Amino acid sequence: MPIANHWVVTGKFTDDASNTYRRTDGTWTNNLQDAGLLGDEASAKAFVAAVIANEQRQISDPYVIEVFAANGTIDPLTARERIRASGPTVRIRRPDSGLGR
Amino acid sequence: MYQYDDYDRRIITERAQQFRGQVTRRLSGEITEEEFKPLRLQNGLYAQLHAYMLRVAVPYGLLSSTQVRKLADIARTYDKGYAHLTTRQNFQFNWPKLADVPTILDELATVEMHAVQTSGNCVRNITSDHFAGIAIDELEDPRPYCEIMRQWSTFHPEFAALPRKFKIAVTGTPGEDRTAVRFHDIGVRIVEKDGERGFEILVGGGMGRTPVIGVVIREFLPKRYLLSYLESILRVYNLFGRRDNKFKARIKILVTALGIAEFRRRVEEDWEASRTPELDLPDHEVARVAAFFQPPPYETLSASTTQLDGWALGKDREFGHWVRNNLVRHKVPGYSAVVVSVKVPGVPPGDISDTQLDAVAALADRYSFGEIVVTHTQNFVLPNVKTSDLPRLYADLVALDLGKANINKLTDVITCPGLDYCDLANARSIPLSLEIADRFDRIDYLSDVGDVSIKISGCINACGHHHVGNIGILGIDKRGEEWYQLMLGGSPGNDASIGTILGAALPQNGIIDAVETVITTYLAVRESSDERFIETVRRVGHEPFKRAVYGEALATGDAA
Repeated sequence: MPIANHWVVTGKFTDDASNTYRRTDGTWTNNLQDAGLLGDEASAKAFVAAVIANEQRQISDPYVIEVFAANGTIDPLTARERIRASGPTVRIRRPDSGLGR
Repeated sequence: MYQYDDYDRRIITERAQQFRGQVTRRLSGEITEEEFKPLRLQNGLYAQLHAYMLRVAVPYGLLSSTQVRKLADIARTYDKGYAHLTTRQNFQFNWPKLADVPTILDELATVEMHAVQTSGNCVRNITSDHFAGIAIDELEDPRPYCEIMRQWSTFHPEFAALPRKFKIAVTGTPGEDRTAVRFHDIGVRIVEKDGERGFEILVGGGMGRTPVIGVVIREFLPKRYLLSYLESILRVYNLFGRRDNKFKARIKILVTALGIAEFRRRVEEDWEASRTPELDLPDHEVARVAAFFQPPPYETLSASTTQLDGWALGKDREFGHWVRNNLVRHKVPGYSAVVVSVKVPGVPPGDISDTQLDAVAALADRYSFGEIVVTHTQNFVLPNVKTSDLPRLYADLVALDLGKANINKLTDVITCPGLDYCDLANARSIPLSLEIADRFDRIDYLSDVGDVSIKISGCINACGHHHVGNIGILGIDKRGEEWYQLMLGGSPGNDASIGTILGAALPQNGIIDAVETVITTYLAVRESSDERFIETVRRVGHEPFKRAVYGEALATGDAA
């Protein structure tokens, strides 16, 4: 298992509970690969506190995940976060991209 | 089936209206997620791994065709075209948008359904025998008592904030438990003593991280005291159950800590002190509720089973297997209960599309007096099918991809949603069941292996009932990766037993190989084809299976 070299702030969009990741510019995306990378966990946790304080309407349950980022790809370190980022690994009757943010 | 009265309609409609206001306030930011969470959970709305999940209550698993059509419509309109059958006879929708949920609840209310108490630390949906009312070995139909308990427990103010969730199951068939009654917080068995019907009450059973087989707290309870006695059990639990640690808060922990004698003493003491006539169940009230569960207008038909026997051994082998595996004898001559397998290769167990739901509703209308029952094994039952209709029904089910002849067989797997959907899971469950279906879906092989249950949970919460699987699989997290423990010897029935771990956890790419090895070993060591898997495991113990699965790994020291 690779060692974490970055941290990402994640949470859920309140309107559909889809997973979301904080971009560098402070906006939010469903796509982990667009997430803003943070170089230390303390900074990431500070962002989480700010999200709870200022963005609770749009974003629910923010927290920090560890990732391994290299060559333009962001890989979560756990099976849970990998599946969370990419969706169910089994057949969905009518897949769609949700609100696709 | 039970029909709502004005009171039922009013409380369900009011609850939906109330939740609409709460959702509006959450979406506007007026209330935080922390404030909203207990409100949404009280309405069965979870935030899962990818989306919200709405759990809809199906009291004792019984549905009308009208209700099934409504569920199909909700799946089509507000979800991704499918719904999921749960291991507690409920329905789940995996992708609703928050703003749509109040409208879904309004829609459900129009067909006398709701989602209240499908989550939270309260009395949950009361489950029962999926053959209730038609089982040939049934002493008495348990559904009227389930309904009475449903009405008593819904919005019960004293039990709205229990230490943990609380699950009750009722069976009217003392000879064969199809409800896992010994693995519920309270199990109710209709029994007969000296010519009088009453209840045997069990308490303190459960699965989860601490599996416990429930014990008898009262061997015989006269019917009229059902509610007052259950209230006393719940009151003692509410007062003395732990609230400091959610993992030790279920009633099974309290019963184990106190011992059944002391727990019984406290319950009986409370019961003597608190019992009041208004909680007594008078015969006329039981009769009033029972009137909703009167048999449909059956035809008078021959009791001969010649036709069934002929089909079972006939030229159409697939149909023959289906007749043997998916039919259950009915107490009315000339009728059968049909178990519709919702274990379709390539599809997650228990997932059913909107078009399939509509079609099942139509089949229920055509063949089964409009009734459908959800089983805790994630299948459906059409409870009242005329023998002469079976070939046409089978053809219709095959056309719907619901004609698998695999009930109680290797591919009739119980599976929790696991890490593909669940926020609590450690590992995926569904891919394992799909691999099992893919690898073992050969009817002759399934017939040779015979009855065996595989139950898979993606975490220790045991929604897939792995503790009581003849073969149980538990997903665990090892340093962020998915691993699986293999257990043997569980059974949920009258011969209740908890499976025990076979050996070291196995990786995902090895767990189904291990299952196949276990089955191969069983076929090699069973005394005859009449000895079921569970009987063989109990006779020979784990050792032959352990050697077969781990022999080489143990020898080389590669076991994890």
